[in-house]
Amino acid sequence: MKTANEPIIQIRNVYKYFKNDIQALRGVSLDIFPGEVVMIIGPSGSGKSTLLRSINRLEKIDDGDIIVDGLSVTHHEDINALRLEVGMVFQQFNLFPHLSVLENVVLAQRIVRKRSAEEAETKALALLDKVGIYEKASAYPLQLSGGQQQRVAIARALAMDPKIMLFDEPTSALDPEMIQEVLEVMVQMAKEGMTMVVVSHEMGFARSAADRCVLMDSGRIVEEAPRDELFTNPKEERTKQFLSKIL
Amino acid sequence: MSNKTKNDASELIAGKIAKLPQAGELSAIDAWWGLVAVVFLGIILLVSLYPDPYARILSFVQDGVIVTILVTISTFLLTMVLGLICGLGRVSKNKFVYGLTSVYVEVIRGIPLLVQLLVWYFAFPAIVVRIGAALNFRPFQQYLANPIMMAIIGISICYAAYMAEIVRAGIESLPVGQMEAARSLGMTKAQAMRTVILPQAYRTIMPTIGNEFISLLKDSSLVSVVAVADLTRRGREFMSTTFMPIETWLMIALLYLLMTLISARIAKIVENKTKLEK
Ligand SMILES: Nc1ncnc2c1ncn2[C@@H]1O[C@H](COP(=O)(O)OP(=O)(O)O)[C@@H](O)[C@H]1O
Ligand SMILES: [Mg+2]
Repeated sequence: MKTANEPIIQIRNVYKYFKNDIQALRGVSLDIFPGEVVMIIGPSGSGKSTLLRSINRLEKIDDGDIIVDGLSVTHHEDINALRLEVGMVFQQFNLFPHLSVLENVVLAQRIVRKRSAEEAETKALALLDKVGIYEKASAYPLQLSGGQQQRVAIARALAMDPKIMLFDEPTSALDPEMIQEVLEVMVQMAKEGMTMVVVSHEMGFARSAADRCVLMDSGRIVEEAPRDELFTNPKEERTKQFLSKIL
Repeated sequence: MSNKTKNDASELIAGKIAKLPQAGELSAIDAWWGLVAVVFLGIILLVSLYPDPYARILSFVQDGVIVTILVTISTFLLTMVLGLICGLGRVSKNKFVYGLTSVYVEVIRGIPLLVQLLVWYFAFPAIVVRIGAALNFRPFQQYLANPIMMAIIGISICYAAYMAEIVRAGIESLPVGQMEAARSLGMTKAQAMRTVILPQAYRTIMPTIGNEFISLLKDSSLVSVVAVADLTRRGREFMSTTFMPIETWLMIALLYLLMTLISARIAKIVENKTKLEK
């Protein structure tokens, strides 16, 4: 069983306050194991993004610790090494609009991983092929549909060979007919054994790929359940309440 | 694989072709070049129909045109470099760097350019001489300001303060997600700035930079008060020996107009070339 190993992400009693006295995280603890797919659900403002962003230190935590594959987010020296292990996919894609699709996937490989142009391009084209965007390699991001852009963003993150992938509502900005093509790529990654932390309310993804679901509310974890049980058989009243709103 | 790569190459070429100006844009460009042609023809006509005084004026002030162009271009290059550095300072998280560049920007923007030029040309050398006297240091005591040098430094330092704000606005106009995406790929802040933020900011501020260049070209006429023999000063010299104010200043005005119109056209071309692909 996967859970027999050491966790690859250890989130220990994490607190995060924003300047306006908002307590975004209030004592969150969670272990995530290699190859595991953890889904985080919860109402807007409950701290899901903040938790995800704390894992690769886009947000600095105020108390507690997060250890990613032995590297702590509270140790400044580790931060670029840590970020190399963690890929991130955003709700708004955040592709670089001044670069072609191919260049988007090549850029960080060249300047961060220091790969040769040839090596980086071969890798980029292989990944674009995998997410089904090979034909658009020389197009520019703004010429693509949302679903295509998000798949490029996934390829861009994968090109750095991360051990962990974080997804912050990857399908929330998409038109309904494009959600499936992105989820398919994510399910495929899950099958290949990628460790994934996914903030999303896509029931279908929970059913086909999640190992565990976590419900957050007001900066805390309210309930955890294996597979899609959180959706199908919630225990806490708060979870039932929340699900009745989104399902 | 190789077949796919070939497809890729032809798509790249197709992309380049798509980048050429569309029919509409092209005719707009032509119309504006037409205005340039009209002004140019006007000057030619004046010179050939009335060689006295217009040909005389033109040959008298031609070295002034060179000086004006020289001052404008070298000032522009310095302004870009200094403005970029200070613009980065204005978005820096480092309190000292931010404070220093902010004070610079606020102070410089609160003093008229003409006064700044007078400070650089008259006050600055006087200070150097005094310091030289106090320290008994000969090279300082005999310091003489080079007018063109002082003019270029003075305008650059002034324009860079405005350029810094343009650069800052350009950087801040980008979505924060751009920096976050770059950082989460493991880039350092400097790498993200260089490869992701600045190339995009540059495209956004390109039209403003073009306008700054034209303002600079016009404001370069202020250097005539600090003994630089630019187009304006040469015009004044010609007028004071010939007493032909109408003809002199008509010619000078047309020459400036020609230069600013050409600059505007070039700026537009550069701007179109750097537009984001949509
Ligand atoms: N940069 C920020 N500055 C101030 N408050 C923030 C910031 N980011 C998030 N918050 C606040 O922190 C709380 C948690 O936000 P977030 O993690 O984005 O929630 P979720 O992703 O679950 O919708 C919210 O109350 C939000 O308003
Ligand atoms: Mg969120």
